Amino acid sequence: MIGKEDERVLITGLGIVSSVGIGRDEFWRSCLLGISGIKPIQRFETSSYRSQLGAELPEIDFKQWIRPSNLRRMDRIGKIMVSAVKLALEDSGMDLSREDPNRIGIAIGTGLGSSNTVDLFFRSLLKEGPTGAQPLLFQTAVPNAITSHCAIEFGIRGINLTFSHKEVSSEMAIAFAYQQLKKGRVDIMFAGGGDELSEPLYHVYSRLGVLSPGRGEGEEGMRPFDRKRNGVVLGEGGAVLVLERLGHAKQRGARIYGEICGVGCSGSTDGVLRYDLKGDSIARAMFLAANELELVDYISAAANSTPELDRAESLAIQTVFKERVKGISVSSLKSMIGEFDGAGGLRACALALTLFHKIIPPTLGTVDLDPLCELNVILEKPQKREIRSALLNGCSNGGSNLSLWFKSWS
Amino acid sequence: MRRRVVVTGLGVVSAIGTNVSQFWESLISGKDGTKEITVFDASPYSNRRAAEVSGLDLGSHFSKRELRRLSRCDQFGLIAFREAWKDGRLDRDPVEKERVGVLLGAGSGGILSMERYFRDFYSGRKRVSPSLLVSYSLATTTDLITIDAGLKGPRNTTATVCSSSSVSIGVAYEMIQMGLAEVMVTGGSDSLCEVSFSGFNSLKLIDPESCKPFDKRRKGLILGEGAGILILEELEHALRRGAPIRAELLGYGICADAYHLTAPEPNGEGVERVIRSALAHAGLSPEEVDTINAHGTATPFNDISETRGIKKVFGERAKEIPISGIKSMIGHCLGSAGGIEAVATVLTIENEVIPPTIHYEVPDPLCDLNYVPNQSIKREVRIALSNSFAFGGNNACLVFGKYISNGKRRFI
Repeated sequence: MIGKEDERVLITGLGIVSSVGIGRDEFWRSCLLGISGIKPIQRFETSSYRSQLGAELPEIDFKQWIRPSNLRRMDRIGKIMVSAVKLALEDSGMDLSREDPNRIGIAIGTGLGSSNTVDLFFRSLLKEGPTGAQPLLFQTAVPNAITSHCAIEFGIRGINLTFSHKEVSSEMAIAFAYQQLKKGRVDIMFAGGGDELSEPLYHVYSRLGVLSPGRGEGEEGMRPFDRKRNGVVLGEGGAVLVLERLGHAKQRGARIYGEICGVGCSGSTDGVLRYDLKGDSIARAMFLAANELELVDYISAAANSTPELDRAESLAIQTVFKERVKGISVSSLKSMIGEFDGAGGLRACALALTLFHKIIPPTLGTVDLDPLCELNVILEKPQKREIRSALLNGCSNGGSNLSLWFKSWS
Repeated sequence: MRRRVVVTGLGVVSAIGTNVSQFWESLISGKDGTKEITVFDASPYSNRRAAEVSGLDLGSHFSKRELRRLSRCDQFGLIAFREAWKDGRLDRDPVEKERVGVLLGAGSGGILSMERYFRDFYSGRKRVSPSLLVSYSLATTTDLITIDAGLKGPRNTTATVCSSSSVSIGVAYEMIQMGLAEVMVTGGSDSLCEVSFSGFNSLKLIDPESCKPFDKRRKGLILGEGAGILILEELEHALRRGAPIRAELLGYGICADAYHLTAPEPNGEGVERVIRSALAHAGLSPEEVDTINAHGTATPFNDISETRGIKKVFGERAKEIPISGIKSMIGHCLGSAGGIEAVATVLTIENEVIPPTIHYEVPDPLCDLNYVPNQSIKREVRIALSNSFAFGGNNACLVFGKYISNGKRRFI
């Protein structure tokens, strides 16, 4: 059900810093051409690992968006997130100086935020003891530093939140932003998330057996729903959406990408590193998010190329949509951008563009569908179709599941 | 119509008490939890004190296998959660697990475990066990609590460190408002670790002997650890099962200074805004506030800007409001600070006793309010605030009130 007009929450700006493109247009072109950001990792040595791939960002000249004096206090992920907000702001066409800064908020999802800074800080501490602890590193090492950088840079004085819950961090940030707008506590929210690749993170995922090609044989790579999938490839990047209330968007004549209409959250309890095994919890999140399931035409899946999650999510989609399941297009962006905790921002931006252009980007890398993932998965080429509404699924290991319901704007 | 949200269970682990009654007893008698650090080797530091948790019989809570895998943060979180769950009679009453969620705040999380792992790894010890690595995520404690009780509602983790668990209580409140849950387990857990200690030490924010909030001699904070867990519940749900209602959560505020990465805005403007926002959310006026549980870290700047912010909101009446700085006893517990302080605030309302700010001897002309020096005071408390502020100017304020069954709450 759509709420009262002033409670409606619209997407009016997208800011994207991704391994497949910086800015909305470059990113969307890659999505449609099926360009993957996954390549051999350059930033650190991977020869001692079984895996070598990652979706890394290109070298970026942040001076285009951030004043040099301000750049100095930011670490890499700080720059990435501030640039994403800047790009989102430019895309929205909004003039922040005309807004009440107390009615603007920001919610960001991330794994560790500055994981490279934490590592630098720790290594220096190990090497030199207490005098090796560097205060400048410490202040940017806290996970919320990335959000604070944005707040300081743009004078965002309203609600300010950082979530860190594995692969549903950014989805939660968007859900919370949606809710705050709906309740009218703010007029504008910047919501999204991001992460950066770091060697310790790569090490942890590798040792926990999460990374493709897993413990077994097989080719390294990411292929959600594919029979031969064998784990995750890590990625990095940042993306932020500008969300605002309908009245506010109308008043300033904003371009509207789509609407957020619902949130569903649920949990499964199969283990601290396990996804929802039966898919019933993922199904519940979708049920709760979409008030009118019959209007759903597309699902941006959480499927990340781990057999457990891909199957559970497939089962959940089958359970929810029953005989209509074949008519619902499904794709996963993760084989393009890699998996990371703050990836929800990028995925939400892609979904907004999907609704706006009525084109669904394909699931890269997937050629041979697992019979247990019998869905209408969009492979190889983008699919052009009418999309009345869509779900963005987020699923984390440990079992937190969150679905966001997006509608096309007409 | 807004749904009313009440507190029906409390659990706590802290340096001054590892359960709610012990904690409260220590709190109102002004016990200092500060001691020499043992959880990591602090001998290279000139400051070696923190409010470390001691006297926990871990063997009675966990199996040997669990103890190998659980980080110290997980252990505190689980112990406090189990106490709160039982306190809220949720272990006995049938509840729909799909309607119970968990939203915790994290600070350093399992970094203590990660430190141990990477210390060995970087020093070239070959076969380091990966079992410590389960703690890589700030969400691990949240996930473990959920699994412990089989909870299937919404779940997430906030990561604004020093204000994390206050923020998480606000987000949990919203989960109930959105109708996504009837019951939310919230608050936070955190443990001491060398990374945070050395970081605060490098910023020269640690007092070598004790935490003296609002006192002229204050030199900085004392780090602490522990967990503070609250069970929030939709009022009708709580009434239906006849749950013990300990207080009502009336509203919250979250905002940003947008000023500096570590320093608070010096005039207390951010503090003023967050308190005003919380009061407006609760539909209350400043005149109705009876006491404030301060952030009160005892860093020179925080205490001044917090005092200024309070004065801006309450004007002349600011001097009459008792303000407790309980970090003087429990230290700054980072990710669990807001949770433990929220537990203290609920107990303040329930017991009509306001805990003191200890080590208070020399007044600071820049901090000239009533900080409840050294002795708790008995007073009826209808409305109490709990403040938490974090690096980056992330401010949070919670408004708790005495539960009044047919109370007319004004909602905006």
